[in-house]
Amino acid sequence: MAISIESSPPPGWDREGIDGLLGLFPPGRLSEIVGPRSSGGSSLLLALVSRVTTSGSGQVAFVDAMDALDPASAAAAGVDLSALLWVKCGGRQRTALSATDLLVRCPGFSMIVLDLDDLGPVPASAQIRLQRAVEGSDTVLVVRGIRHREGSPASLVVATRRVAPRWMGLRPLTRLAGFRSEISVARSRGLPSSPRGEGSSWTLDWTL
Amino acid sequence: MTRIACLLATTGAATEPSAQRTLLQVALSHSPRVEDPGAGLVYLDAAGLQGLFGDDSRLAARLRDVAAAAGLTVRVGIAGSRLGALAAARMGSGAAVVEPGRDAAYLVAAPLSLLPLSPELAARISRWGLRTLGELAALPTAGLFERLGGEGIRLQRLARGDDPRPLASWKPVPLFEESMECEWGLDTLEPVVEGLGGLAMRLCTRLGARGLAADGFEWRCRLDGARVHDGALAPAVPMTDGVAVGGLLRLALEARPPRGIVRALTLRARPVRITATQESLVDRSRSSPRVLAATMNRLVALVGPDGLGAPALLDSHRPDAVGLGAYAPSSVSSSSPHRRESRARVALRRLRPPAAAAVTLASGRPVALRSSRLTGRIVAGVGPWRSSGEWWGRQPWLQDEWDVELADGTLCRLAHDGSAWHLAGIYD
Repeated sequence: MAISIESSPPPGWDREGIDGLLGLFPPGRLSEIVGPRSSGGSSLLLALVSRVTTSGSGQVAFVDAMDALDPASAAAAGVDLSALLWVKCGGRQRTALSATDLLVRCPGFSMIVLDLDDLGPVPASAQIRLQRAVEGSDTVLVVRGIRHREGSPASLVVATRRVAPRWMGLRPLTRLAGFRSEISVARSRGLPSSPRGEGSSWTLDWTL
Repeated sequence: MTRIACLLATTGAATEPSAQRTLLQVALSHSPRVEDPGAGLVYLDAAGLQGLFGDDSRLAARLRDVAAAAGLTVRVGIAGSRLGALAAARMGSGAAVVEPGRDAAYLVAAPLSLLPLSPELAARISRWGLRTLGELAALPTAGLFERLGGEGIRLQRLARGDDPRPLASWKPVPLFEESMECEWGLDTLEPVVEGLGGLAMRLCTRLGARGLAADGFEWRCRLDGARVHDGALAPAVPMTDGVAVGGLLRLALEARPPRGIVRALTLRARPVRITATQESLVDRSRSSPRVLAATMNRLVALVGPDGLGAPALLDSHRPDAVGLGAYAPSSVSSSSPHRRESRARVALRRLRPPAAAAVTLASGRPVALRSSRLTGRIVAGVGPWRSSGEWWGRQPWLQDEWDVELADGTLCRLAHDGSAWHLAGIYD
């Protein structure tokens, strides 16, 4: 009899909850994930990418403004690396925006990620251009940044907040096991009504 | 009987692209079969050239003289194998010939460095104490196979002057450019547009005949008074439709017409190869190969060829051992959904290159961090996690890793490589 060693989810892993959260990201709209470092924003992003690439037909373009993507973390999160187009922009925000602009006009990508990290605020005009370009398509466009910019045209804004790290071992600690973060929907505009809309929040445990 | 000539450029600028092109032109002017290994080296098929240029000695001297006339100093070797010809070029007098059937004897004293060896394999063979091709050729074949597998057999055959692989024929890249001289000057826009439209038709026919398309066109109008009006056009998708290209050129010229009498027109296309892919009626997510090819070309122009691709994990324990492979979306099948289960895993954000950091230690444990990206008091930390590898190679590495929490809650990974601290990444 085959026994799956992955059958039991880690503590705090609310599958129904995170599936509901990942399902909120709408196609044809601009979405944002904002939150400080170590608050789970990038982990959430990889969970989202994993969900799309493992669906079997989803291609994802990852525009990496700071060249910060760790493919080993992505693979551990279940991302199918062969379905991922990694665009490294060498810390140039303008290049990252131009690359995203090109990609949103190329049909065929189920999801396009613009990972800006802590690069300066994106001009509202650029965000509006991206929003217009992705409208009417089947592409989920997600921008990851540290701060939310007022006036952003994003339909969905998901905010992440760090709660606490989890360590293994008694004193002295032996290794980092992961961290807990709280994820909430800060804005949900013009989207179909959902029982978990604006104001909803999730507490998730991310494991190393 | 196989006869191969080797041209080896010896001048300082030998590895420049222009020198390599000249070398290839010299080779092509003597033989239709030419191989381009690059880096100032060219092979050509020298069999059957006696009727044209005389025996091998005359051919070698002629190749050297023609190259010299083109501004290149080259050494020439002719033998029955590529390796023999290369050895003759390197070790000979400048225009050396190895008599037919004498390759193995000639290669006995040649150094192992003539073989195309990876650094690892070169180091391994060097540790056996081998220095010359003759020593490699004399090894027992069965023992060599046990240690190096098929690659060992191949190398030994090369060292014995036995080179079964035919020349990988090089063909010059065709220039997709069409021009026309105007017998009388064109002073209105319409004949200029018609002229460029005709050139576009001819170009597209040539591209189509080779299975290519163009993702960019550049035109150039020579005007009276040695002035020039030029411009470029980048269609949304690679095109081979001359009429459509002509229409786009018309729009571009109407928006910015030439200011003067046009004496000559030139149109150049930038060719791209479009991968033939079966379109799918059910798989909506797969992009059109033509559109994808155009987008990829523009992304390459934006971030460079090294900034784009599918991430690949390398077979190494070295930290951040990743590469970029070719992105091929058609290889993903829609028939195998849910192959892997997504997991709630922590993402590490890498800093490339790792940021230099100043770390304060107390009782051997880090208590404060100062770097260009993060600064703060360390409130908790675990480590060191020691890893090392490739101590047997030329680039050994050693690293102690610490996972730490700063006072503001940021979780990051510090690394110490034996001499300095670095901020390797931030958990997010």
